[in-house]
Amino acid sequence: MEDLENNTTVFSTLRSLNNFISQRMEGVSGLATPGSSQSSLQIQYQQRVQLEEQAGQIHSKSQLLQVEREKMQMELSHKRARIELEKAANTNARNYEVEADRNQELLTRIKQYQEREAEAENKLKEQMEMNKSYKKSMETMSKKLQEKESKLAEANETITILKGKISELQWNIMNQEMQMTSQDSQKQELMEQLDVQHKKWQEASQQIQTLQASQSLLAEYEQKIKDLEQKFSQQEHDALIVKNMKAELARFPKMERELRQLREENAYFREMKENNGLLKEEVEGLQRKLERYEKVQAQLVTVELENEKLLGKLKSWEKLDQSTGLNIRTPDDLSRQIVALQQREIVLKEQNSTITNSARILEKARQQLQEEILRVQSQLLDEKKKREQHEALVRRLQKRVLLLTKERDGMRAILESYDSELTPSEHSPQLSRRMREAEEMVQKLHAHNTELEAQLAQVLEEVGNHKQRAEMLEVEMKVLKSQECTAEQSTVITKEEVDTLRLKIEELEAERSKLEEENRSLEMKLEKLTLQGDYDPSRTKVLHFSMNPVSLAKQQRKEEQQQLQEECERLRELVRVLEGGGSVPGNLEGVGSFQSQEIA
Amino acid sequence: AYGINSILYQRGIYPPETFTRVQKYGLTLLVTTDPELKNYLNNVVEQMKEWLYKCIVQRLVVVISSIENNEVLERWQFDIECDKTAKDERRVRVAPREKSQKAIQDEIRSVIRQITATVTFLPLLETACAFDLLIYTDKDLVVPEKWEESGPQFIANSEEVRLRSFTTTIHKVNSMVAYKKDSFP
Repeated sequence: MEDLENNTTVFSTLRSLNNFISQRMEGVSGLATPGSSQSSLQIQYQQRVQLEEQAGQIHSKSQLLQVEREKMQMELSHKRARIELEKAANTNARNYEVEADRNQELLTRIKQYQEREAEAENKLKEQMEMNKSYKKSMETMSKKLQEKESKLAEANETITILKGKISELQWNIMNQEMQMTSQDSQKQELMEQLDVQHKKWQEASQQIQTLQASQSLLAEYEQKIKDLEQKFSQQEHDALIVKNMKAELARFPKMERELRQLREENAYFREMKENNGLLKEEVEGLQRKLERYEKVQAQLVTVELENEKLLGKLKSWEKLDQSTGLNIRTPDDLSRQIVALQQREIVLKEQNSTITNSARILEKARQQLQEEILRVQSQLLDEKKKREQHEALVRRLQKRVLLLTKERDGMRAILESYDSELTPSEHSPQLSRRMREAEEMVQKLHAHNTELEAQLAQVLEEVGNHKQRAEMLEVEMKVLKSQECTAEQSTVITKEEVDTLRLKIEELEAERSKLEEENRSLEMKLEKLTLQGDYDPSRTKVLHFSMNPVSLAKQQRKEEQQQLQEECERLRELVRVLEGGGSVPGNLEGVGSFQSQEIA
Repeated sequence: AYGINSILYQRGIYPPETFTRVQKYGLTLLVTTDPELKNYLNNVVEQMKEWLYKCIVQRLVVVISSIENNEVLERWQFDIECDKTAKDERRVRVAPREKSQKAIQDEIRSVIRQITATVTFLPLLETACAFDLLIYTDKDLVVPEKWEESGPQFIANSEEVRLRSFTTTIHKVNSMVAYKKDSFP
């Protein structure tokens, strides 16, 4: 409220200011004089400015106040709103609680309803199941009903059929009764007819008797007729026979003529056959001769070729005579020359063999002698070595003797000096010491001497060995040189032998290869022949059973062939006879029947 | 004998209905029921056994020839190599020589199978044929009563095929077949 009061004061001040300003403006505008107006203007302007500033301040203050008022109002409204909100909240809370309670009640109700619903569903399900079961039972019942109905229908049908049958049967019975009655009536009629017939039969029998009598008479008559007919036929037959006989008799001469002709033809054909046979034999003989002549010709040709070859060879042999200039005119001379050459060859070979034997013996002797020479030389060398060793020993011994004599002399001199020294003075310890030293020196010298001698001896031995080896080598060298000389002489001789031997070896190898090839080819042939079934007749023989199937089959075949030939001949005769047109003889009839049986 | 029967059946020398089945060497083999043929085969086989024991037989040949013109069409040859030292009782039993029965049967079975297989490439026997059994023996053998000497029955223009061989402890059998080459291949 204070603010409001402030505001009203502010407003009032504002109004007063505005009024003042407006007055001042009017006053200012009315006073538009130049001179003093300037200072008044300035003052007015300053006042205006101050007033404007105040106005502005007041405006701002008024604005502030307005704002504050608005703020107050806002706060009040805010509070009111808050209070209202609180109220509303309270009411809402209450409503909420109420509604919550309601909700809970509703929920409980819903649960109850859901439970009820579930129960209802269960009940529904049960009901449905019950329904289904009832339906099934209903269906089964209905099926049963249907079956029963079908059965009923079938039963009805059967009933109807049976009724139909019954009716038919009844109808049949009726018909049969009717038939029975009709048949009874017929029977009566037939009985009456029977009586009539009986009477007739009696009459007929009487008639039959009469007829039989007449028939016997008839039979007699017929017999007579047959006899007469037979006689007649016989007479006719006889007449025919007579006619045939006459005809045959008429034919007889013709037959005789034909017979003669056939016999002549037969004879002619036989002659022809014999001629044919003879001609065939001649032909075969001629063919064989031809073949022989052809063979002979071929042989002639080959013989002529051989002849020419031989003539050529002869000419070449004769030419040989001119070419070799060995006085050869006939092959005998050639053969003699060859024999002579061979004999010379044999003689030369024998000489060769003797010479080679002697050469071998001489070589062996030479080798033995060389071995002896070697042995003797080695012995010589050994003895030389021994001699040298002995000489060296002798020298050493002499040197030793000299040394010993010198030592002895020295020792004697020393002893004499010692003796001479001993008698004047008795420097025995020094002398003894000196003596001992001297003796030691002597012993050392002895030892040294012996060592040197031993070394000398060793060296001399080695030298001797080396010399011996050298001499042995020299000897061997001499031997080898001598052997070389001899070998050079012998190689000249043996080169020829080697060449000949090589040639022989080559020839032998060529022969060997040829023989191997021949061997292989022969083995192949042998293999082929063994596969084909060849055998060595000298070592094996072939046996088979006498009663073997091949022979049996051949026998059967022969028998069949014979049978067939016989049949053939018989058939030919039949044909001839049939062509002739005569009566068929008995034996051929059998063949014909046999043939007909075979065809059947 | 089983080999000979197989050859007779396979080549159609006798009609197939005259053969019956038996089990031997693990195979089903066909043997003839014709009494005359059986008698003939038994005679030959008995004699063969005796000669085989004495190691005199060198070869057995089944010759198939045409009845009409006596021409030899096929030759089944079985060479027999006999170990004569097996007869010597002083011989020391060497282990590799012994052979099991089963192994021998297997080899015989393979030979019979090979006979059956060779039929595929042999030319057809068009004409009626008969067979004969030839035995090649040592030359100095005494010929028994019912037997006689015969020729070797070669085929003129022949093609030969070697088949498998089989060995027992004492014998080695090589088999081969020779047949006439067809003029029109």
